[in-house]
Amino acid sequence: MKITLVKKIKLDGSLCKKCEEVQQKLEATGQIDLIDEVLIADERDPSSQGMELASLFNVDRAPFFLVEREGEAPEIHTIYFKFVKDVLNQKTREEDDLKEILNDNPDLDFL
Amino acid sequence: MSENHLPTVDLDQKLSEQTPQEILAYALEQFDNIAISFSGAEDVVLIDMAYKIAPKKVQAFSLDTGRLHSETYRYIEKVREHYNITIDVVFPESEAVNNLVREKGLFSFYKDDHKECCSIRKIGPLRRKLLTVDAWITGQRRDQSPGTRAAIPVIQDDKAFARPGASLTKFNPLANWSSDQVWAYIRSNNVPYNELHDRGFVSIGCEPCTRATGPNQHEREGRWWWEEATLKECGLHDVNIKK
Repeated sequence: MKITLVKKIKLDGSLCKKCEEVQQKLEATGQIDLIDEVLIADERDPSSQGMELASLFNVDRAPFFLVEREGEAPEIHTIYFKFVKDVLNQKTREEDDLKEILNDNPDLDFL
Repeated sequence: MSENHLPTVDLDQKLSEQTPQEILAYALEQFDNIAISFSGAEDVVLIDMAYKIAPKKVQAFSLDTGRLHSETYRYIEKVREHYNITIDVVFPESEAVNNLVREKGLFSFYKDDHKECCSIRKIGPLRRKLLTVDAWITGQRRDQSPGTRAAIPVIQDDKAFARPGASLTKFNPLANWSSDQVWAYIRSNNVPYNELHDRGFVSIGCEPCTRATGPNQHEREGRWWWEEATLKECGLHDVNIKK
């Protein structure tokens, strides 16, 4: 299995806030060691590797994880806690999980 | 017929030109295990439309946060009886609600924001329900919130709630309809509606977080109004700092 993390650099040159938070969580938990490659999606450069991957897999948010397993279709994960649970098989706190889903999908609170 | 994975981006372009009924017919044809999310408000039009397309396939669910208006509970029951359908009412985990209330009280959303409460009372049960289906249908519309719903597609690959290793398709057949169109449908088809609408409620959610709106107010102003005010205040501070 190969795991690629794609982080976004915004038009003003700064790293996106959520990418920063996810990076910190990965480092704090040691999960960063399970990431094989980190790519940058630079909004100022559509040909940056991360931007090309985002376009290829039709991903519209960052950060995201590309998971490649031999003989299987690649998977994209845009929700950190779901990625940790489903791919890294590590436990997450339900409330963190749910909050992240709502933060990433603010339209859901209107449901 | 049930498909595992649809090319949602291509389909969105095609389905966007179709009517909500055509989109619903497509969804119901593609999936056997598909459910309509019914909030107890004007999204009842989806149930009415689906009932007219394939009455035996109508499977609906409602999220009972425990804080809905009594009018909404009565209305959900009315819809169930009117269409003679099953409405699966799903509830939050009691332990999570207990913990929130014990730690922060019953109205923490007025002090913090609504997200913590919504995530426990809505997103948790929603996730549990969606783990049991292959596709779901919502009444989300672009005109409901210029901020958060402006780009809602008609069909999308729902990665947030999909089961591990599986796909979940989300349909928003009303995405391109306006509130006026929804209400024209309700009135011309004699669809039962929540009595709160006759009292000025445009958008209906939980009782403490919903209020009636006045003329020319956007329906979003009837939900979490205290947070909007906070945002405006912060914006002013920002301008002052830049000056």
